Amino acid sequence: MNDDSRSGQRARLVVSWLVVAVLLGYGVVQTVITAAKLFTH
Amino acid sequence: MLSALDRRHTVAPPGYSRWLIPPAALAIHLCIGQVYATSVYKNSLIAHFDTGQTAIGVIFSIAIVMLGLSAAVAGTWVEANGPRKAMFVSACFWAAGFLVGSLGIATKQLWLLYLGYGLLGGIGLGIGYISPVSTLIKWFPDRPGLATGLAIMGFGGGAMVASPLSRQLLSFFDSGYDPSNAGSTASGSALVWLFVTLGLGYFVIMMFGVANVRVPAEGWRPAGFDPASVAAKPLVTTANVSAANAVKTRSFWLLWVVLFCNVTAGIGILEQASPMIQDFFRDNGSSAVTVAAAGGFVGLLSLFNMAGRFVWSSTSDVIGRKPIYLVYLGVGMVLYALLAVVGQTATALFVLLACVILSFYGGGFATVPAYLRDLFGTFQVGAIHGRLLTAWSAAGIAGPLIVNGFLDAQGKPGTLTAAAYRPALFTMVGVLAVGFVANLLVRPVPQRYHEPSAEQDLDEETTAQRSATR
Repeated sequence: MNDDSRSGQRARLVVSWLVVAVLLGYGVVQTVITAAKLFTH
Repeated sequence: MLSALDRRHTVAPPGYSRWLIPPAALAIHLCIGQVYATSVYKNSLIAHFDTGQTAIGVIFSIAIVMLGLSAAVAGTWVEANGPRKAMFVSACFWAAGFLVGSLGIATKQLWLLYLGYGLLGGIGLGIGYISPVSTLIKWFPDRPGLATGLAIMGFGGGAMVASPLSRQLLSFFDSGYDPSNAGSTASGSALVWLFVTLGLGYFVIMMFGVANVRVPAEGWRPAGFDPASVAAKPLVTTANVSAANAVKTRSFWLLWVVLFCNVTAGIGILEQASPMIQDFFRDNGSSAVTVAAAGGFVGLLSLFNMAGRFVWSSTSDVIGRKPIYLVYLGVGMVLYALLAVVGQTATALFVLLACVILSFYGGGFATVPAYLRDLFGTFQVGAIHGRLLTAWSAAGIAGPLIVNGFLDAQGKPGTLTAAAYRPALFTMVGVLAVGFVANLLVRPVPQRYHEPSAEQDLDEETTAQRSATR
């Protein structure tokens, strides 16, 4: 694997995990906000 | 162009990072996990079609039954054609399900919603669920539990993404819809646009998975990995068993019973979570737990369901598959019994017990592919997993039937107390006990079911050549 494809792969890794992190992060934060109502209501 | 989806075009070049595979799998599972968020727009669909709970609930049931059936039927096709084509087909079915469903909503034809989201979407669910499993196991022979746990965690996370997103989209498309009010209903056109947006959005995200997924080259293994270290563990085989032979073994059906029991018990709580916590703390007709707090409890259960998939499945790489299922089922029995006996004494205790139970429920789903790999090898593990998922479909019917059957006999909803749940909870203890015994009986697969190894093939070929030259 040459330098170009290595840096391409690194970018692909970052974008892929970023998409997953944004989606999961959104879900977790929204669920935590909902779950907090258990302790505040 | 479609030949780019073939297995032979998806073999990873040298140096390809295996850490690109879990996000590819997550891209699929985060999308299809939406199926557990259908309750968000259930009331809106009921109002739009002017029909009852059952007629709308059937959409979800068709999707789950189709999940089990398509995973079982298409498992071998998924193995033969590779993960990329399977993920692409899954994305097409899943998106088409939403689009055909939106047509049904727009024209007020409920059967189109059954056909679209239920049937087509259900096929997308089944193929999508199993599509990355065997690929992950092949890329992570050293940590199969962690790899499949990551992907199947996405299925739990999918509902957590889709629930708030659907509410926000409905309020965007219909200004009269209040996302913070569970009783609020959205207009038909808002539902149409929701389905179209979700269908197209999910298709795009699933294409990330299609683009990134690769199968490892023949003979590839991670740096520093010694297959002998895995084979030295109890119940772990280096042999391979085909899907057709796997269903002939006792261990497959014992594992089917294990999954069925674990899922039946978990669904019992999950399906009833919101009214259950209110009923447990009901005194003189009114509950100490508000509707909003009960919604918070459901959210907390989702978090533990998702976290359990990753944490427990990863733990199984260390302590082994059979012991971890003994924990899910054995400790689960104790927790269910405690919930029945002392669950009503304090809200914190009730919440803690239910959350751990739900983490075991998620763990059971996520660990089963690695258990299958241990018993049957990697040859057709995806197809075997597909056949095993029929246990999920069966449990999806049995779990709610058990709980609702007992509760119906105890009184009307809104008047029940903790005592009304005891028969159902103790029944679940019994169900888990059956699973516990089934897990204890799981044994290595007899050699007669193994596929001939490469060395054996070579020996047979050499013998045949010698015979021919004589």
